[in-house]
Amino acid sequence: MTEGHEHIIRIQGLVNRFGPVTVHDGLHLGVRRDEILGLVGGSGTGKSVLLRSILGLHKPNEGQIEVLGQPIHYLEPGPHKNWGVLFQDGALLSGLTVQENVELPIALHSDLPVETRRELAVLKIFMVGLDLTAAGKYPNELSGGMRKRASLARALALEPKILFLDEPTAGLDPISATEFDGLVNYLKANLDLTVVMVTHDVDTLFGVCDRVAVLVNKGIIVDTLEEIVKHPDPWIQEYFGDPRAVRARRAAKQRAGN
Amino acid sequence: MSDYLTVQREKEILKIELKNNWIFRNLNDLQHNLDNIETNAEKRVEFRCGGLKDFDLAGAWILYERAMDFEELGLTADFEGFRASHFKFLQHIIDIAAQKEYIPGFFDPQPHHPVRDGIRTLGKNTIEAVDSVGYIARAVLNGIKRPSRLVVGETIRQVHATGVAAIPIVMMVCFLMGIVLAYQSARQLEQFGANIFMVDLVANSIFRELGVLLAAIMVAGRSGSAFAAALGTMKLSEEIDALRVMGLNPNQVLIIPRVLGLMIALPLLTVFANAAGLLGGAFIGATVLDINWLAFSDRLALTIDTNDVLVGLTKAPVFAFLIAVTGTLRGMQVKGSAEELGRLTTVAVVQSIFLIIVADSLFTVIYARIGF
Repeated sequence: MTEGHEHIIRIQGLVNRFGPVTVHDGLHLGVRRDEILGLVGGSGTGKSVLLRSILGLHKPNEGQIEVLGQPIHYLEPGPHKNWGVLFQDGALLSGLTVQENVELPIALHSDLPVETRRELAVLKIFMVGLDLTAAGKYPNELSGGMRKRASLARALALEPKILFLDEPTAGLDPISATEFDGLVNYLKANLDLTVVMVTHDVDTLFGVCDRVAVLVNKGIIVDTLEEIVKHPDPWIQEYFGDPRAVRARRAAKQRAGN
Repeated sequence: MSDYLTVQREKEILKIELKNNWIFRNLNDLQHNLDNIETNAEKRVEFRCGGLKDFDLAGAWILYERAMDFEELGLTADFEGFRASHFKFLQHIIDIAAQKEYIPGFFDPQPHHPVRDGIRTLGKNTIEAVDSVGYIARAVLNGIKRPSRLVVGETIRQVHATGVAAIPIVMMVCFLMGIVLAYQSARQLEQFGANIFMVDLVANSIFRELGVLLAAIMVAGRSGSAFAAALGTMKLSEEIDALRVMGLNPNQVLIIPRVLGLMIALPLLTVFANAAGLLGGAFIGATVLDINWLAFSDRLALTIDTNDVLVGLTKAPVFAFLIAVTGTLRGMQVKGSAEELGRLTTVAVVQSIFLIIVADSLFTVIYARIGF
């Protein structure tokens, strides 16, 4: 199944333990270039831990992780210029305006003149669907949806190859959530991005993701949506048999049919 | 000629062939290369992408900006032979440029009016401070009149956190201050052969001023900042709003226990501070100055009466009130950002120490006038 695909993120034999509780036990995962991979799992199955391990924010007990061919070590610089992360609540720096937040990574990782930095930041802010009025505001003056967009603009500031999204549509109303899904699709198609997203939103899952990785039994099962719904695992059956998931799947099929 | 482009001139057409990686990392070089292109009398400029490898938004943007510069000079700019995978970036920039409307003056620095702004801030802060102090005072009074069980438990916890836990450090500081006082006064008194009066000096200054002052300053640093930071964080994480909607008055649950707790703790802490200060003095007397422990205590009994002890102790609740109110007030004023939290925590400590010293000088003048 993995033949013929270039793996941009490679995880081998990942083990994560918290005291007596083992969350991941010998987990393997390969993320392909230019795909959108959705990461799902019940609470406590270690979605966030997996994401934080990939980002070098959590020290796994065992295992190797490589991103873009570069091994990831706990709290050491990784491929910072090639990945962007959208944290759950945006994690914008509260003392800076949106404009300054987006300029920050550019200023940290390049010696571009101020005007160029500013223009690039404005470009990114427009790209995520915000305008200059929002650019001058502080994060606490923005709505939840705008905060997510602003944070996405910051994640995209350095032209990353990989985008990590942690619950991108959590806390958004359905209209904003659908818009955000559209934005992710659009960016992925237009910027040659690989996207890894943790999500609970079945609409996002069916509307955006190429493949789904389900965390079950301390390991991971990865497949396309079409295939994974047929998997016999009880949790997967329950998850995708849920009325919401069934509705989302039907809606996605209709969209694809049109 | 250059790493990223080659220029050919054909009659009236300027042909620019792009090559290598036009990406974010090379932006400075790209800018340089593009700026070096000179125009003579051409009417058209064609960007061709024969040797272009990697391309991204930043590269597309700088290319587009240069193309627009050419158009302003009266040339027509064209993009030729771009592959779809490259052109989509350019298309992006063109789309955004179409919807980009600059708000005039958006990036211009705001004009500064130091005097006007200063007066405005002063007025605003004064109103805010008077308002809040009144509010807190009323809440404290209400709390004392109708104490709820919640308040009692929390108050006891605060007495422990701000008082009991501070005993070692406050005693240490006062002990050292006793040593310093004993040494310094002995050096002066030696000239008159009046070493024994060292006891008067140490005891009077510790009891009347330094014991309570040092304890209050230590507590302002320890607990004033803790109050501001704790309440500020609760404000930021909406915990205070959560208390409000549960029908609990945040003043009742958060501020009163802190104010009352500190007003109980600081006088008690002052007793420990005084004891430690005397101990420091006596220690130096016995080991260095030939005033043994017995002589020290005899002299102490002669020179100190109840008034001297009360002068120090009566100041303590007032200082405690100032520290607790400043700390909690500044904490409640935090809104928006983590930086604001840091700033207001600093303000809380600096202001409470300042207020303590102002209050102390008032006390000294008043007590001197009434002969207390």
